[in-house]
Amino acid sequence: MTDIAAPPQREPFTQRINWVDIGPFIALAVLILAGVIINPDFLSPTNIANVVTRSAFIAIIAVGATFVISSGGLDLSVGSMAAFVTGIMIMFMNAMVPSMGANAIIAGMALVLCVGALCGLFNGLIVTVGKIEPFIVTLGTMGIFRALITFMSDGGNIPIDRSLREPFRPVYYGNFVGIPIPIIVSIVVALIGAFILYKTKFGRRCAAVGANEDVARFSGISVGRIRTMAFVIQGICVAIAAICYVPRLGAATPTTGLLWELQVITAVVIGGTALRGGKGRIWGTIAGAVILEMIANLMVLSNFISEYLVAAVQGVIIIIAMLVQRFSKQP
Amino acid sequence: MILEPAQSLAGAVPLMQLSELSKAYGPVTVLSDVNLDIRAGEIHAIIGENGAGKSTLMRVISGHVKPTAGTIRLAGREVTFNSPVVAEHAGIALVHQEILLADGLTVVENLFLGRERTRHGVVDDRAMEQIAWERLKALGSTASPRDLVRNLPIAQRQLVQIARALLEDHRVVIFDEPTAVLTTAEVDTLLGIVRGLRDRGVAVLYISHRLNEVEALADRITVLRDGKMIGTYEAAAVTQEDMARLMVGRELSMLYPPKRGVSTLPPVLEIEHLSVPGFVTDASLVARPGEVLGLGGMIGAGRTELFEGLLGLRSAKVGQVRVKGKPVRIHSVADGVDAGIGYLTEDRKGKGLLLRERLAPNLVLTALSRLYRKPYIEQKLEARELDRAIGEYDIRVRSKRLEAGQLSGGNQQKLLLAKIMMLDPQVVIIDEPTRGIDIGNKSQIYSFIDALIRAGKACIVISSELQELVGLCDRILVMRAGSIVAEFSGDDITEEAVVLAATSGGPTAAAGGDSL
Amino acid sequence: MLKRNLLAAAALATILVAAPALAQEKKTIAVSIPAATHGWTGGVVYHAQKAAEEINAAFPNIEVTVKTSPSAAAQVSALEDLTASGNLNALVILPFSSDELTGPVQSVADAGTFITVVDRGLTDPEIQDLYVAGDNIAVGSTTAKFLVDNLGGKGDVVVLRGIPTVIDDERIQGFEEGLEGSDIKILDIQYANWNSDEAFSLMQDYLAKYPHIDAVWANDDDMLLGVLEAIEQSGRTEIKYALGGNGMKEIIEKVMAGDAMTPIETPYPPSMIKTAIYMTAAQFNGQAPVRGTVKLDAPLITKDNAEEYYFPDSPF
Repeated sequence: MTDIAAPPQREPFTQRINWVDIGPFIALAVLILAGVIINPDFLSPTNIANVVTRSAFIAIIAVGATFVISSGGLDLSVGSMAAFVTGIMIMFMNAMVPSMGANAIIAGMALVLCVGALCGLFNGLIVTVGKIEPFIVTLGTMGIFRALITFMSDGGNIPIDRSLREPFRPVYYGNFVGIPIPIIVSIVVALIGAFILYKTKFGRRCAAVGANEDVARFSGISVGRIRTMAFVIQGICVAIAAICYVPRLGAATPTTGLLWELQVITAVVIGGTALRGGKGRIWGTIAGAVILEMIANLMVLSNFISEYLVAAVQGVIIIIAMLVQRFSKQP
Repeated sequence: MILEPAQSLAGAVPLMQLSELSKAYGPVTVLSDVNLDIRAGEIHAIIGENGAGKSTLMRVISGHVKPTAGTIRLAGREVTFNSPVVAEHAGIALVHQEILLADGLTVVENLFLGRERTRHGVVDDRAMEQIAWERLKALGSTASPRDLVRNLPIAQRQLVQIARALLEDHRVVIFDEPTAVLTTAEVDTLLGIVRGLRDRGVAVLYISHRLNEVEALADRITVLRDGKMIGTYEAAAVTQEDMARLMVGRELSMLYPPKRGVSTLPPVLEIEHLSVPGFVTDASLVARPGEVLGLGGMIGAGRTELFEGLLGLRSAKVGQVRVKGKPVRIHSVADGVDAGIGYLTEDRKGKGLLLRERLAPNLVLTALSRLYRKPYIEQKLEARELDRAIGEYDIRVRSKRLEAGQLSGGNQQKLLLAKIMMLDPQVVIIDEPTRGIDIGNKSQIYSFIDALIRAGKACIVISSELQELVGLCDRILVMRAGSIVAEFSGDDITEEAVVLAATSGGPTAAAGGDSL
Repeated sequence: MLKRNLLAAAALATILVAAPALAQEKKTIAVSIPAATHGWTGGVVYHAQKAAEEINAAFPNIEVTVKTSPSAAAQVSALEDLTASGNLNALVILPFSSDELTGPVQSVADAGTFITVVDRGLTDPEIQDLYVAGDNIAVGSTTAKFLVDNLGGKGDVVVLRGIPTVIDDERIQGFEEGLEGSDIKILDIQYANWNSDEAFSLMQDYLAKYPHIDAVWANDDDMLLGVLEAIEQSGRTEIKYALGGNGMKEIIEKVMAGDAMTPIETPYPPSMIKTAIYMTAAQFNGQAPVRGTVKLDAPLITKDNAEEYYFPDSPF
């Protein structure tokens, strides 16, 4: 095998574009275009703000999932974990109200971040120390967290104390310079996530562990520690999502976060991160989360899709989005 | 002596005829214009260096790879093999170099995988086990049909693989390095079987590095070099020396830098009583600056496992390890890096480089913590490091934005070397430094090794290529079945001595590094 | 149709009278219900356990055990466990799904056990001795009639439905029938899976799609919670009514407080399990066994009678 001794040449422009990177944004643009054609109200500021705000929970959790999936793991427990930490947070805040008043909200936020991190650590340690497939571990903890929230609520709901309802409300319904708070929170989470994943040694190692565990090990990287950290980041992201979620309906129920794990994984994959690990794409993930919520919104806004077929059409759109990416990769 | 390629025997119609056969992957040609005829009832050896195109040729013949140009005729008729299944139907079987068996299945299940015998539509286990018994016995295998392949030693697996290829009657049987993992007794049995096939009129294509085997077995010999056919020769007319010269195409001495001689400096790395359960028993060795220490032995002798055990990549029992006289405890590659030990894996693609990642991140992966004191990454600094490595190690790249997997094998190996050297190790352990790379890159790698020795570092080279070991190293340790069994230095280093020690016990059996 | 309260009271009264006379042989009643996974089933579990406690405390000769199951398959195994001991006198079951549980319940019945089926019917009604159920069609039609009366016979409504099941279908059917003959138009019906989050999203989308909505009906109170938040956030003022169904305590509280947007409620009370357990238990206290079908009414709950339907300790 001889080496190609061709002189270095500038690659053509089309080759320098990374299609995987911008694929999700093209899909998003196409979807918005389709939306405007289907119903002009789609582009109304209120509707767009509603849709993007709604996508915040999935987006925030999916940023964490990008770390886990990038490092070669998988977390199926995020939906139940969100419900569980939400329940803990509300019960704690309600208990703190008599002594702390509205400051209970701050205490609750601090607590939920710790609980989220611990839940992630729990998942991570079982996966890495116990050397069990993340799929199975998080399938197990998914059941555990879901059962715990059902137990804590007796199958009903855990409402937030009335006195906290109003002071907490702005965290979901409020806005800053016209942008809803949850959107700002997801952008900040994504910025921090992107910095960690692309600009730190940890992020580099995370991608290396996911791309090839052996290479990582032979390169002196502690695979277990990196994977565990990714799960902890996931737990913290779930907690941040929970903080934005509580003020929306003011309650945790056993149906909170139901099937979020699938939406989260779908958002990550639509965003261009390979499910088998390797390079994670934070901004693609955010686009993926918005795409998912936007599809659901368009289903309601359009008049020609039978309510019975909505789920099928959503499935078809997601598959098409993935196919478009697959084929645009090698033009 | 000038060798004339043998002429085809007039009148004898070859069973298989290859004309102008070529194979290229993109711009890289790995096989060009091969013309070969293979007769029924002959053993036809194909020899050549690593990367000469032998395996590619075999894979083309057996339908695993499609040729870019040229034709294959079988019994006078032109054929196209779109898949190995088609080739097998035409009567061509390939015994692979690598073990390709399903680990979790039993021997008999593997033998009959995809061609299970049935009775009334039900899988007939009893009949299959009976056949398996007979075939394995004929091959001299000690494996039982019901053993799980996972539990078999590597030589037994190879025999199972051979039994699988010979299960049906084939007209052409190709052996790709079948003896690499076998012991002497097993090799003798196998050679008997190969002769038996020839006597039954089967055409046997035999690929081997072991020139003595080729000399003993072959009727005709075809030599490949750099993907081109050098010629086909009657075996009786060539000696082993001729074969070596034809394969290399130049004087061997030009490939290797001049030797440095045995070093007497105080050791950099001392390993005492290291055992890796199942692979290495009580190995001790010493590496000194100023010399290249070679580690020879057959595949599976425990050479790689020794160093994986040293670096905590396998569970191991370590007596003591000293670097520059100071005892160190090593539990991971990171510890090894801190202690000044750099290890280049033999599995460059699977364990060395992230093939889908760009060059710079690959280069700095192990050195991240050394390169950056702060937690974040600076692309500019990495780009500068890449430029330096490209210059220093002559890595040829079309673009710096390429992924590591897009480089040729030789350039990948140079990148890997640069990656390890970023850590400024005191000892560099290189496992199979030139596996699968072309001769030009080979000699460059040898000169890099020479340079780092001259820079005062110690270097340990693990190699399965005898010539490389003999040509490059100043001192050689030979491992057999998990133990270090012999040591050679200076003029004692010969291919014959190393082979003998590796296969059947050397002059100084059980002599370890501790005798130094 | 029998009034639920009346009937429960009657059953309780007869047990209380007969109790001291027949306290010799221990009778066992097994209650098999789905595990609490959302508000309504949470209520079922609460009321079943409450009934078991009350009966076990009041009547030493009757033993009521409650077993919850997280899935249909688990419920089938639970039935096998419950009947394994061999001396089961009565079974009160709220089947997970009609098809899967019919066979197993049949085999329990074959052993001579008294069978009471609650809420979801079996495919073969011959198996049961007693059937206690709410009236899903009435849940829809009662709500519809209220809207017809209070919107003056015309207007635009949007509907949120639950998970595709018979219960959901019947409620929607009742609602549509109730609107017949009026000029009230259903603008849209979509599934929100009886989930408050999905209902919140769906309501936001309805609000974006339709500039004028007179009333919203979510066929379950969990969803109504999401709907109310979405309406509040939008600041839209033309919506006169947002109604639910099922009798969740938070919504009953609103009705009791005379809320303008949610002034009424229709019950599909999880306490029906309690009624069923009491009616089943009555026969072991000297009463003649009650057989047949008992369909609980879905009366309009207003500020005046809301108190009766309020269980502050229930999770639902």
